[in-house]
Amino acid sequence: MQLTSHSEKETIKLGQKLARQFRGGEIILLQGNLGSGKTILTKGIAKGLGIGRIINSPTFVLIKIYPVPKKRGNKKVGKQIKYLVHADAYRLPQGEQLLDAGLKEYLGRQDTVVVVEWGERLRFLTKKLTGVKSIRLKIKNNSHQIII
Amino acid sequence: MLILGIETSCDETAAAILEACPERSRGVKKSSFKVRSSVVLSQINIHCRFGGVVPEVAARKHLENVLPVVDQALREAKTNWPKIDAIAVTRGPGLITSLMVGVQTAKTLSYIYNKPLIPINHLEAHILANQLTNFDLNKNLPAISLIVSGGHTELILIKKIGRYQIIGQTLDDAAGECFDKVAKILNIGYPGGPIISQLAKNGHAAKYPLPRPMIDQPNFNFSFSGLKTSVLYFVQKNGRPEKKALNDFCASVEQSIVDVLASKTIAAAKKFKAKSITLGGGVAANPKLREQLGQRIKTVLPNTKYQIPNTEYCTDNAAMIAVAGYYNFKKTSKSSWANVKIDPNLSL
Repeated sequence: MQLTSHSEKETIKLGQKLARQFRGGEIILLQGNLGSGKTILTKGIAKGLGIGRIINSPTFVLIKIYPVPKKRGNKKVGKQIKYLVHADAYRLPQGEQLLDAGLKEYLGRQDTVVVVEWGERLRFLTKKLTGVKSIRLKIKNNSHQIII
Repeated sequence: MLILGIETSCDETAAAILEACPERSRGVKKSSFKVRSSVVLSQINIHCRFGGVVPEVAARKHLENVLPVVDQALREAKTNWPKIDAIAVTRGPGLITSLMVGVQTAKTLSYIYNKPLIPINHLEAHILANQLTNFDLNKNLPAISLIVSGGHTELILIKKIGRYQIIGQTLDDAAGECFDKVAKILNIGYPGGPIISQLAKNGHAAKYPLPRPMIDQPNFNFSFSGLKTSVLYFVQKNGRPEKKALNDFCASVEQSIVDVLASKTIAAAKKFKAKSITLGGGVAANPKLREQLGQRIKTVLPNTKYQIPNTEYCTDNAAMIAVAGYYNFKKTSKSSWANVKIDPNLSL
């Protein structure tokens, strides 16, 4: 499925929509260049999960963990989701290093949604685990294309 | 009293011995500090070739270095364990694996030598690094503190020591991260801040019109992702600037970051009627930021004090951890080590 976004707002809305389909245990590998909208899409996912905190870049600390509030406006969202883990492999050419940095603990947990920026470096997970989904982000003719 | 500080939240293994002299005069508590030793072992050279910190390598290096660094701090301070009154250690925010090494070491030392252990928030330590100068935050409140580093860009309102309110922060990349990512796009090395700053010295900051994201918005949040993207598009279109043009380009990038940081900080100080503005964090070592923020405060807010730490206490160090330990000493006891846990996402 290919979607097109023309603005930050639209990308956030797309993220929210995506989050509504999550049931817990998803591992989302975001793949795209600098400035392709990975962090913005994650902001949308967080918003869709009902997280009110500011979501900013995890590049420096590699992994940020956000608790999902229990009471949420949107009841469609998977009830068992307790955490959003926002990870970033930008500084780690070998994706395995991100697992050693603490991500391993959160993979395959049914109460967690994991979103990884520079997810192409963790594509090896696709064969090892269920729930791994790739989302590619591209810039084409001034608009952002999001391929799910 | 003597406090041993330990810091391992990122890629610096650091230990320091701080002598703190609490004094009471005319009812006002003022304390003086003397850094007896401050040892910082940087892993920058190791991580350079990876273009950033590799967590597993960082943790392994911390493990090798932490005890020798603590020993060296004790030796340089000409003191020994019986004379140490407390241990302060960073419990967050930072890299999970790096934090673990420091905290586990500190807990073990606390248990063996029977010393109280004080868990420290790295951000509070950056704020309190200014107490290592003649400046006393207690007498210049409320204050606005700008903490800028590789992982942080936060504007903090301080009503009293221990009570902090984040009034603004980055919505995407931290200022130091923007320096690093721009340096990577320009292919000039890691860490980006000092390299860009060095090249910028011989450049004209007005040469390249780059965006100043969110500078006119009436809030105290920052955004540096757009600046990074502009740099990327520029390089994709025009190729990497070389020689003189590279200097000009770096100066323009630096100026854009400094402009946003300075104008938001001053706006915050105006709004909250701050008596002082302080700086902290690795990017606070940037000479242009230090100088230009100072000049602007002088012109726009002549009655507001401006305080910056020495550059050695801007980048990660353990002296600031020990100072923060001093101000959090009351909250601890000799058995408290057992309850100290790391928190990589710790906030103020």
